[in-house]
Amino acid sequence: MAERPVKIIGIVCNWCSYAGADTAGVGRYKQPPNVRLVRVPCTGRIDPLFALKAFEKGADGVLISGCHPGDCHYSEGNYYARRKFELAERMIHHLGIPKERFRWTWVSASEGQRWQQVVTEFVAAVEKLGPREGRAL
Amino acid sequence: MSRQDHIREFAAQALSEGRVDYFIGWKEGFNPSEVIPAFVKEVAQVDQLLWNPLCHHNLVTFLKRNMPDPPEAKIGVCVKGCDSRTLVALLQEQLVDRERLYVVGVPCDGIMDRRRLEKEFAEEIVDIAFSEKGQVVVTTRSGEKREFDQQAVLLDMCTRCRYPNPLYADDMAGPAVPEPDREESQPDWSDLADYEALSDDGKQELLARIYATCVRCFACINVCPVCVCWDRCVNRSRQPELVSQKVETKSNLLFQMVHMFHVAGRCPSCGACDRACPVEIPLYLLHRKMNKELYDMFGFEPGTKLDEKPVFQVFNLADQFGD
Repeated sequence: MAERPVKIIGIVCNWCSYAGADTAGVGRYKQPPNVRLVRVPCTGRIDPLFALKAFEKGADGVLISGCHPGDCHYSEGNYYARRKFELAERMIHHLGIPKERFRWTWVSASEGQRWQQVVTEFVAAVEKLGPREGRAL
Repeated sequence: MSRQDHIREFAAQALSEGRVDYFIGWKEGFNPSEVIPAFVKEVAQVDQLLWNPLCHHNLVTFLKRNMPDPPEAKIGVCVKGCDSRTLVALLQEQLVDRERLYVVGVPCDGIMDRRRLEKEFAEEIVDIAFSEKGQVVVTTRSGEKREFDQQAVLLDMCTRCRYPNPLYADDMAGPAVPEPDREESQPDWSDLADYEALSDDGKQELLARIYATCVRCFACINVCPVCVCWDRCVNRSRQPELVSQKVETKSNLLFQMVHMFHVAGRCPSCGACDRACPVEIPLYLLHRKMNKELYDMFGFEPGTKLDEKPVFQVFNLADQFGD
């Protein structure tokens, strides 16, 4: 049986990365279909629990993206968020989930091309590792 | 005067002057290797208070939001070095009312690992005696006597302690104990080295084995002094059900990670959760690691400065995280 395609959960902020993904779609940039997007109001809303929950439920990778620092729609949400994500990344790696399976980055609404690049790179990295099997989380 | 006498004196004074409604300390437990929290309401009862290297309970737990009974009670409480850090962490976020507290700080020489001591003997321990010189004499049911050096049977985290003296106290029970030079020395994280040396798959395997035994009794969360939203805990919420109520490896680990993330920046690794766990899950693997990373990221040690805000409640434009 062929390996199943990898499943990736993307958690994106409404104002930048979701719009950025939209821009990528409108611009007809080719991107892998493995990413399912969850739209949240702001990266400041994202609890590290979301990423862990996605892994628990069987996601092979989690991609978090929002406005560039300084561009937050709510002025400062992503300043708080980046501290949380940094810890989350380290703790997720501590659990034995390879670094390649968790990525957080900034993509603005106009950066359709950057979104394509981020998704393509991330999916390629996760595909290299393959689907997660027999995992503790 | 011993520290125990100091504690009794402070408690008696505070109670007789009406400065506190009750005083929380430690008293003799139901078996000789265990000490339990004591709630002293009258001066006549202060003689039950004691201090010895078995007093591992972090009494700050009883000050948590909604916990004091009645809620407006004035409380006296004993804190060790690590306990005082949890108290400072709560004070930093105004989670306890400083005006209603009377804090007696107890400089601490390290707490003994009761479980390790019990495992040393095949039989039940009937008596533990402490000498002034830091020796411990343990007697078992059949009369076997063995002497230990207190330093040799300490809790693992006490051997790495950087704050043996309380950081916040109204009165100190006795002179301070020698401290490591914190300017010079870095925290010692060597207890994590074995785990961190494992491969990713090795870590997952080990965690799967460890967390298969969790019975989700919530002892770690109930006993945690800095886990404060316990009446609205996402771990207990059924609607929406964010963390499954099912007791199985994956949910157990997720459950524990939720706890860790929620106390990040507040948890000083006092180890109360490790000691409360009935199946002896090594929770320090998570909370010590979290504190290691916080130290690495911000040079931050939770609960050490009263006027400081926890790192996740503030931000700095100059932070260099992410790409």
